[in-house]
Amino acid sequence: MNDRHTPTPQRSLFDRLADMNETTLAALLLAPAFIFISIIVVYPVATLVWNSFNDVRLLTGAPSRWVGLENYLLLLADAQFWRATKNTMIIVLVTVPGSLVVGLGLALLANMPFKWRGPIRLSLLLPWATPLAFVGLIFAWFFHSEYGVFNDLLRRLGLAPQIWFNSPTLTMMAICIATIWKTSSFMALILLAGLQTIPKSLYEAADVDGASKWRQFTDITLPLLVPSMLVALIFRTLTAIQSFDIPYSMPGPGEETQTLAMYIHMNAVDYLDLGYSSALAVVMFGLSMATTFIYLRYVKADGK
Amino acid sequence: MSATISDGSGGGIFTGKRLRWLAAGIVLLNGFFPALWILATAFKSEIELTAKPITWIPHSPTLNNFIAAFRDQPLPHYLLNSAVVALSAMALSLFISALAAYAIARLNLKYRGAILTSIIAVSMFPLVTLMVPLFEIMRGLGLLNSYWALVLPYTVLNLPICTLILVSFFQDIPRDLENAAMIDGCTRLGALWRIVVPLAAPGVFTAGILAFVNAWDEFLLALSFNPAAAYRTLPVGIQMYQGEFSFPWPTISAALVIAMIPVVVVILIFQERVVSGLTSGGVKG
Repeated sequence: MNDRHTPTPQRSLFDRLADMNETTLAALLLAPAFIFISIIVVYPVATLVWNSFNDVRLLTGAPSRWVGLENYLLLLADAQFWRATKNTMIIVLVTVPGSLVVGLGLALLANMPFKWRGPIRLSLLLPWATPLAFVGLIFAWFFHSEYGVFNDLLRRLGLAPQIWFNSPTLTMMAICIATIWKTSSFMALILLAGLQTIPKSLYEAADVDGASKWRQFTDITLPLLVPSMLVALIFRTLTAIQSFDIPYSMPGPGEETQTLAMYIHMNAVDYLDLGYSSALAVVMFGLSMATTFIYLRYVKADGK
Repeated sequence: MSATISDGSGGGIFTGKRLRWLAAGIVLLNGFFPALWILATAFKSEIELTAKPITWIPHSPTLNNFIAAFRDQPLPHYLLNSAVVALSAMALSLFISALAAYAIARLNLKYRGAILTSIIAVSMFPLVTLMVPLFEIMRGLGLLNSYWALVLPYTVLNLPICTLILVSFFQDIPRDLENAAMIDGCTRLGALWRIVVPLAAPGVFTAGILAFVNAWDEFLLALSFNPAAAYRTLPVGIQMYQGEFSFPWPTISAALVIAMIPVVVVILIFQERVVSGLTSGGVKG
């Protein structure tokens, strides 16, 4: 690390800047990043926590007022908050394992020795690159009660078509299917990279020992994929907790399928009630931190 | 492709040519079907759209939906807004993270790990959580409905992934090259600019593409901060085709097809970069 160079004759301000002590230079180079992070993350999060203990309503224009835990007590008694949390949890519990299973399936399929890998890779990249808000709209169209492709398939199979967005349960199902489609391809890309790091010799040895393909899968492939899975799962869970774009673009009846993020957005942007929405956001922040913490403990326990 | 569970010789769960075609078919259908369906819808006439059973391929393709997509909403303007915001955020986050990554990868630095971790920790903050206070701050500063309202947050949100990718690329560049340049009279910053950045170009590209796509796709902040037509980005603008009780699906589909073109072009050209960028973050953790 000590590659101090001999000082060159100083010519201009730029050169003098560049020839300064390494630590000072490092501080200067890191400064923009940390200034931006302070303005866009640290200061806002501090404001958020402060606001959550205050009554801040931009609509009335009244000055903010310290109310202690009132927002949090309000929240505990708020049925809409609980419903939003329940919907969010359903999305987390269904789509995180869902996208892992579908993603693993896609990764195993895509890992076969194809001649044209380009189209396969593109078919995994396209869902990743499609904006979530677009995915929501596309699947809302898929699940259209009259002209949607899902109901058409049901009819062709001789089943009864459904009015998907009239029922909270069916809407949640549609939301989860759209979310799994959107996120499983990213999962597949990560797992595919993991698959390709597994030495082929392991399988050859297993073949010699007469292990079945299924045993090879459960005893070699799965355990060796765990590290890639964990990293992908942390991010998948964190984004599932924040589900907004897809449920927003696929609304069910009334506000029955509102997620926590949608409820926060409604309180902040539509009602301009920053005190209450801040308390809600702090709860979501807590959920995310708890998730990260649990995963990280698991990663450590896993010896990685 | 040397180590897989399914490489021909080693057999695999799926063997045989037919199964391979089936596997390819499933993967391709899963990835492309929604896009193809939207494409088909975009070319259907109103009459064909409401026909039952629904037709899978338009019988008499029409361009009317595309005309409607441009007529009903200022679609080119949305495209322009998305491009301005995504490209500015990309450039800014690349610049800031290149400086930081260089310091982390190359300079004599205490707490190197802690500094990198604290930049990466930004990605652990839920966007919704940041949206609430940022909304108040942007409103207070009069920045709602402006490019800044999105460029500033997107820049910061992209710092973790850009810094992570650039640090690993900078570390791979031989120090000798840089030292040689400095012996030849280059300053340290000169060496960064003339030697390190060009050699790390693949990394800069990769980080840039991911930053661009992230900013291009973002919806929550765009919806919350820039609802005015003049500053709407594509994901928000696309939602505006629907009336309170009407969903003009063919028009929406046509707009979606147009809106997808830039992203499809990006992944077509840069697919290998994108994959390596995504997986380097994931596998190295």
